[in-house]
Amino acid sequence: MRWLEGAPDRYDAGLRAITLGRVAALHQAVAEAAAAQPGARVLEIGCGTGAVTQRLLARGARVTALDQSPEMLQRARARLGEAAQRVDWLERTAAEIDALPEQAFDAVAISLALSEMSSGERRFVLRQALRLLVPGGRLAVADEVRPRGARGVLFRLLRAPQALLGWLLAGVISHPVADLAGEVREAGFRVSAERRWLAGSLQLVVAQREEDREAR
Amino acid sequence: MSLAARLREAALEGLQTAFRLAPWPTEPGLRAVGRPDELSPVVVTGNYALTVRRVRRALRGVDAWLVVAPSAGINVWCAAAGGHLGTSQVVSALKTSGVEQRVRHRRAVLPQLCATGVQAREVSRRCGWRTRFGPVYADDLPAYLASGGEKTEAMRRVRFGVRERLEMAASWGAPCSLVVGGLAWLVRPGFVAPLVGLSLALPLLVFTLYDRLPAARRTTFTALAVLGAGALTWAAGGGTAALLSAAGAAGALSWLLTFDYAGSTPVEGGSHFEERAWHVALDLERCQGVYSCWEVCPEACFEKPTAPAGGRPEDRRIRIAHADRCVRCGACIVQCPMDALAFEREDGRRIEPEAIRRYKLNLLGKRSVDAGASSA
Repeated sequence: MRWLEGAPDRYDAGLRAITLGRVAALHQAVAEAAAAQPGARVLEIGCGTGAVTQRLLARGARVTALDQSPEMLQRARARLGEAAQRVDWLERTAAEIDALPEQAFDAVAISLALSEMSSGERRFVLRQALRLLVPGGRLAVADEVRPRGARGVLFRLLRAPQALLGWLLAGVISHPVADLAGEVREAGFRVSAERRWLAGSLQLVVAQREEDREAR
Repeated sequence: MSLAARLREAALEGLQTAFRLAPWPTEPGLRAVGRPDELSPVVVTGNYALTVRRVRRALRGVDAWLVVAPSAGINVWCAAAGGHLGTSQVVSALKTSGVEQRVRHRRAVLPQLCATGVQAREVSRRCGWRTRFGPVYADDLPAYLASGGEKTEAMRRVRFGVRERLEMAASWGAPCSLVVGGLAWLVRPGFVAPLVGLSLALPLLVFTLYDRLPAARRTTFTALAVLGAGALTWAAGGGTAALLSAAGAAGALSWLLTFDYAGSTPVEGGSHFEERAWHVALDLERCQGVYSCWEVCPEACFEKPTAPAGGRPEDRRIRIAHADRCVRCGACIVQCPMDALAFEREDGRRIEPEAIRRYKLNLLGKRSVDAGASSA
């Protein structure tokens, strides 16, 4: 199937089509939540073509960006130009973050990557994210979610052609997460803020690793 | 299984076979087959629903752990070649599926056809699992496992026999007849039955006869299909409208079905003429007799030397004995630890193993440009 093979070329266009252009606001919100103060050490899981990476850098963060696809990383580097040298690029799958040292980051950002993972992978990655954060560290996850109630029905109707378009353009099949905040809580985080876009179908969840009480 | 469950399984199998060109994702993760324990074998496959069901069925009577790796809901061979089932996906599945908490060993059997995308040695380096490429077909898994990993030539080779041909015909016939039948129903409901018949008959002809046609076969086949459909309509007493729609549908369907014939079948050497100009070249100086190529080649193009092992290094070198059968999947190049294999062209251009590994089968043409094919 030819159109799947050149996916990274069309990834950004596909994403814009799926989200009716709202993806830029989402990227910005993730970067703002993750890079709360200049100099913050941020791990970005699934950096894709580097849209969030670029915004994190612009906010003065020290970024480690991870993606399993060499083609995506190449495109992210190209997007950032000179600034790409300031990023630690890791060509790995999200499941390999267990090799990174404990409490090495002030924030973890995951934008539109969780919905491409299986539920087992999501559980694993969120637990690991907790381990990688310093106490008080922040998690910013954004993704496609399934809205509830009447909106949910509307969402399903709207989503069918969008999903098809995304599949044709970007070769990406994503599965909206049913309960993003719930999965974040289940991994041991305290959720501090939630935001939604596009009739509630895009969601940002900001959460904290709580301060270790025993350590005080 | 209850009768209802059996019926449901049979219906799903039929539906997914008929529409197997579409992705049919199933949740990746761990499945227990039979009653496996901490010493049972671990078998890996992609998350294509049809394959997962067939692997489970093939493993009936065997106690094993089945790790379903994410492959975008696409079958193993296409997913591996298209970059959807690679080393990362296998590493991720082994680490996150929970299989590490269930077994004491770290050995897994991979489907042979994922060898174009998954580097067995990289899997081991990145997560500690030792992997081997098992048989091409799930049906051979029980014999393979029982023998402790002995792979016969039949287990290593891709087949395109009556069953595979009929399956491909069905998987093209179903969507074609839906589209053509749907269009006919909108315009002239009376034409639905004959046009659906045509949409089922043409794929059957393509997947049984096309590879046996001589040169200029695309034009030949299309012309014959148009003439044949026209003649049948005329013999049945159809009017001008019927004649035109039959001939038009036959032409359009023939064009479509023969367009990516090589991509739908394992009998041709690459999808495009551009690809067929490349061949696998062996650098004998580098070959150390590891035989990964021999293990993963789906057309058994390689032959091991007959001399006893342990002799001089040059006696252990592999030989490309059947280059004519090569389908240019690149699996041998991807797996060779000595980088002794590469794609080469008559004009001296070359694509190095590292480029093949990174860019998978992103069309040889595109890959040769993007990945910087070097000129000798």
